[in-house]
Amino acid sequence: MSSYGHPVRFGVEILGGAGAPGDAVSLAVLADQLGYDLVSFADGVEEGDADPLTLAAWSAARTSTVQVGASRLRATARPASIIARGAGSLQLLSQGRAMVMLGAGTPAVDLDAVEESVAVIRSLHDTARRSRASHSGTYHRLSGAEPGPSLEQEVPLWVHASDAAGAGLAGRVADGWTVDLAEVDLGGLETLSAVVDGAATDAGRDPREVRRAVTVTGPAALDADALVAMVVDHGMSLFVLRADGAAAGVSQMRTFIEDVAPAVRDGAERALPPGALTSRRLRRADVRARRRPDIAYDEVPEDLVEMAVEPGDAAFGKVRSTYLRGGNPGLVLRPRSEAEVADALGFARQHRHLPLGIRSGGHGISGRSTNDGGLVIDVGALDDITVLDQAARLVRIGPGARWRDVAKVLQPHGWALSSGDYGGVGVGGLATAGGIGFLNRKHGLTIDHLRAVEVVLADGTLVRASGTENSELFWAVRGAGANFGVAVAFEFVVDEVDEVGWAQLAFQAPDPAAYLEAFGRVVADLPRETTPFLILGQGMAQVMAMVDSSDPAVIISQLQPFVDIAPLVQQQVVIAPYAAVMNMFPEAPHDGRGEPASRSALVREITPGFAAASADLIRSGVSHWYQIRTVGGAVADVASDATAYAHRDTRFALTVMGGNAQRLDQWFEPVRRHSEGLYLSFESDRSPDRIADAFPPATLARLRRLKAQLDPHNLFQDNFNIAPTQDDTRSAS
Amino acid sequence: MTTDYGHDLVFGTFVTPANRPVHQAVEQAVVADRAGLDLVTFQDHPYIAKFHDTSTLLAYAAARTERIHLSANVTNLPLRPPAVLARAIATLDLLSGGRIELGIGAGAFWDGVAGMGGPRRTPGESIEALEEAIAIIRGIWDTDDPGVLAVRGKHYTVHGAKRGPAPAHPVGIWVGAYKPRILRLVGRAADGWLPSIQYLPNGLPDLTEMNRHIDEAALAAGREPGGIRRFLNIGGHFTTQGRGFLQGPPSQWAEELADVALTYGTSGFILASDDATLTETFAAEVAPAVRELVETARRTHGHE
Repeated sequence: MSSYGHPVRFGVEILGGAGAPGDAVSLAVLADQLGYDLVSFADGVEEGDADPLTLAAWSAARTSTVQVGASRLRATARPASIIARGAGSLQLLSQGRAMVMLGAGTPAVDLDAVEESVAVIRSLHDTARRSRASHSGTYHRLSGAEPGPSLEQEVPLWVHASDAAGAGLAGRVADGWTVDLAEVDLGGLETLSAVVDGAATDAGRDPREVRRAVTVTGPAALDADALVAMVVDHGMSLFVLRADGAAAGVSQMRTFIEDVAPAVRDGAERALPPGALTSRRLRRADVRARRRPDIAYDEVPEDLVEMAVEPGDAAFGKVRSTYLRGGNPGLVLRPRSEAEVADALGFARQHRHLPLGIRSGGHGISGRSTNDGGLVIDVGALDDITVLDQAARLVRIGPGARWRDVAKVLQPHGWALSSGDYGGVGVGGLATAGGIGFLNRKHGLTIDHLRAVEVVLADGTLVRASGTENSELFWAVRGAGANFGVAVAFEFVVDEVDEVGWAQLAFQAPDPAAYLEAFGRVVADLPRETTPFLILGQGMAQVMAMVDSSDPAVIISQLQPFVDIAPLVQQQVVIAPYAAVMNMFPEAPHDGRGEPASRSALVREITPGFAAASADLIRSGVSHWYQIRTVGGAVADVASDATAYAHRDTRFALTVMGGNAQRLDQWFEPVRRHSEGLYLSFESDRSPDRIADAFPPATLARLRRLKAQLDPHNLFQDNFNIAPTQDDTRSAS
Repeated sequence: MTTDYGHDLVFGTFVTPANRPVHQAVEQAVVADRAGLDLVTFQDHPYIAKFHDTSTLLAYAAARTERIHLSANVTNLPLRPPAVLARAIATLDLLSGGRIELGIGAGAFWDGVAGMGGPRRTPGESIEALEEAIAIIRGIWDTDDPGVLAVRGKHYTVHGAKRGPAPAHPVGIWVGAYKPRILRLVGRAADGWLPSIQYLPNGLPDLTEMNRHIDEAALAAGREPGGIRRFLNIGGHFTTQGRGFLQGPPSQWAEELADVALTYGTSGFILASDDATLTETFAAEVAPAVRELVETARRTHGHE
C-alpha cells in the first residue's frame, strides 16, 4: 500500500460537553493556540450532549487558524438543508475553516440518510449552476430551494465509518473517510481502506480524492511509530486525538501536538520518497467532470493552483460572469503577484486556441473579461494602494483595486483621482483605456495622471514604462493598454481635491432633441470645475454633475444654467467627499447574462442633426441607456498624439446600450454619422471600422507597429483588438 | 384605558442577518452590545440564501459580544427540530453565561419551508406543532424532573429522550403571534410575546385586543398575565422635524414609546437597525429617556 500524497495533519475531537460546554470550547481555543489543524465536536445531541454545531460556531469566533466543525454528525437529527446553511455560514464567518464529518458509524445510522445529506449539502452549496436545488430522498428533500451561500471553498464533507458499508459510502461520495481505532483494529483498518479504494474506483473516482483520518486515544495516540506506519501503509493523513475536558486530556493534547506530531511527520518523510506528501490540490471526480475540453488543467503552474477556479468549484458562481456579460469560462486563474501573472500568461500561451479574458473589476465591455470555455486571468488580488511620495502625491495602485477603495484611501490626504461614474469599477481596465470621470473637465482623464506603469507582456516579461523608459509602450497603455499586456501596477500623480459639490437633477424632457441642444449650449459656456453627465430617456432627463468646489455659491452658480433648461422635477445637491460619491452604491455580486450591445460616439458639438438622430433613437425604444459624459476642458489640453487616446478635441462622449445589437445599430447608425470617433471602453462592436473610429490613422499605425513588436501572435485579442502589422516594422522604420 | 404589567423596560435591535458582507450582522451586534442595549435579534428564514443560518450567526455573535442578550426573532420552528433546538439554545446559553433567549414562531412562507424539506402546515397545525414543541423544549431543559420525557404529539413525538443540557438561566420563550388562537397559546405556554408593528392590521390599537386574548388565556391556565412580557418590533428614523410615529427627534421617540409602554403594557422595544448611528442614538438618547418617563408615570399613577 502507499500514501495518497496528502500532508499529515493533526486534530482533536472533543466529546460530549454535556455538563460543561464551556470546557469543550476552551479545549478548542487551546487546540488553536497549540497549532492543531482541526478541532471537531462529536455529535451526542441525541444522548443529551451539547449541540456540536453551536460549539463549532462559537469556537470559530474565538479561534484564528484551526479548522472547526462537527464530527459523527447525525444525518437524521436535523434537516440536511439546515446543516448546509449552517456549515455555509460557518465557512463564511470562519473565513474558510469549516468542515463537517457525518457519522455512519456507531450508533448505526441509515447510510441512505448520510448519502442524502451529502447530496443535499453539495447541491445547496453549488451556486454555479444557477438553478434551484431539488432532491427527493427518503430522509432529506429539497424542492426548488435557493442555492447558497456562495462560498470561496467548498465545506469538506467527511464520512465517519467503521464498517464496510460505511467505508464504501465514504469511498463513493465523501471528501474524506474517518475511522476510530476504538472501533476497529489495524487489520480492520487495512480491510476498510481497501473498501474505500475499491468503492472510489468503482464510482469513477481517484482514491486519492478521499482523505483518510484515524481517531486515536489513550496510549495508542502516543505511539509515533505506529502512526507513521499508518501513513506509510494505509495512506492516513489526519490523526485525530479524542479528548475530554479532564486535566489528563489537556496534558495529552499537548504531548500529542508537541511531541508525537513532529515525530510522525519526520518519520513519514523519511519513510516515503522525497516530496511524496506535498501533492497538489486534487478535485473530486464530479468537479473534474465539469471541466471544459482543450484545457490542460493538470498542468496549471504550481503557484496558481490554490487560487484557480474551475467550473465545478464553489467559487465559480462568483467569477463566471461580469457586471454586464454572462460567461462560462473553462478556467479562472487568480494570480497574487507579477510572477504569478507571468506564469498565468505562460499557461495562456499554451492555450492560444481558446479565448483569453483579463479581468480586474469585471465591468469591461470591449475588454472581454469572461468568455465561454476559455481562460480568464483575474487580477483582483493585485489590489494594493500605496502612497509612494506624499509631497509629489504619487500613488501606486494595483489593477485589482476598485475605484471606491482608491477614493477612500486618497480622501484622508485631501486627494482624489477622477475615475468613472461608479466606484465598483476596477482600476486595471479603466486606467488602460482612458477614464472619463466626474472630474475630467478640471483634472483630465485618469490616464493623464499616469506617470509609470508596470506591465507583464505576452512573452511573460515584466517591463516598466514611463516617459523615460519604454516610452512607446507608455504612450500605448494610455488608451489601448489591453492590447499590450497585463498591467500589474500603476503610478499616478493624484489631484488635491477638497469636498465637491454633487448634484442629481431630474427634468421633464418631452422633446429630447431640444433638451440635448440646450444641454450642449450650457456645456459650451460651463467652467471646468463642473463635469455633468446626462442620462436621457423617454420624457425625462437626469443630470449628475460634480463641481470641484466646496463653496456653495460656486456650486449653485455653475449648476444654475442646467436648472434653467427644463422643468425640474427632482433635485438633490450635497457637498461631500469624492469618495462618498464613489461609494454611493453598494457592491453587488456580478451576475450578468448574455452579451451586452453597447455603442460609443465622441462628438465635438451637439449639432441639430446629432440631437435629432438621438431623439429618434431614444423614441425608438431599442435602447435602455443613453448617457452623455462631458469631456473637454483639461482633457483637451493634452496633445492628441501624446497618448493613444487621441480624440482630445471632442467634448461629449455618448454611450448607448440596447438589448439587441442589430436593432440598436439600425437607430444608432444615423447618430454615428455625426461623430468624430468613439471611446473604446463602451464599444462592444469589434469590426475594423470601429477600430478606425477609436484611433485616427497615425495613432492606429503606431499602435499596430508596437503590437507587432510586443504581441506579434496577438495573445491579447479578446478586447478592442488592434491587429499587428504584417510587414517587418523594424526595417520599415 | 391603560395597561402596564410593570416590567423593567428592555431595548434591543433587529438586525438583518445578511451574509454579505460576511461579518456585517456580527458587527451590528457588537455595536448594540457596546451601546449598552439589552438585546440583539436576527430573523430566521433558512430558505433565503442571502441570509446567514441564524443559529450559527447567534453562536458566532454571542462569542463576539459581552453583555447583550441574543435571540432569533423568530426561530422558524418547521425547519428546526425542537429537541435539537432546545439543546442548541441551552448549549449557547451555557457558553454565553445566560444571554440567550428563544424567540420562536409557528412558521410562515410555507413554500420556502417545503422547498427546504420542511413540513407544509395549515395555520391550525402550525399552532398545534408549536405547542408540542414548547412542551418538548421545556422538557429537555428541565433536568430536575426525574420523570421520563414523553410528548406524544401529532407533529412531534419524543419518548424517553435524555434531558439536558439545562440552560444557564431561565431562557424566555417568546412567540411571534397575531391571531386569537396562537395568542391564547402565548397566554397558556409562553414567557413573552413578540409582534411586529408593521403586521398589526390597524396599528398600535390592535395591541389592546391581542393583549386581552393573552391575558384571558393566561388566567384560564392559572398563570399570571403579568408573567408574560410584551415586546414590540419597531422601525423608525431620526429626523430633526417630527413627521410621524418614530419619525422625529429622539425626544419625540421617547414620548411615543413611553406612551406605548403605559398604554399597552409593552416592555420590550426592538428596533430594526443595520446602522450603527441609528442603534447608538436609540441606546443613548431614547432608551434612558423612555425609562425615565415610564418610571415617573408609574410613581405618579401608582402602578406596581
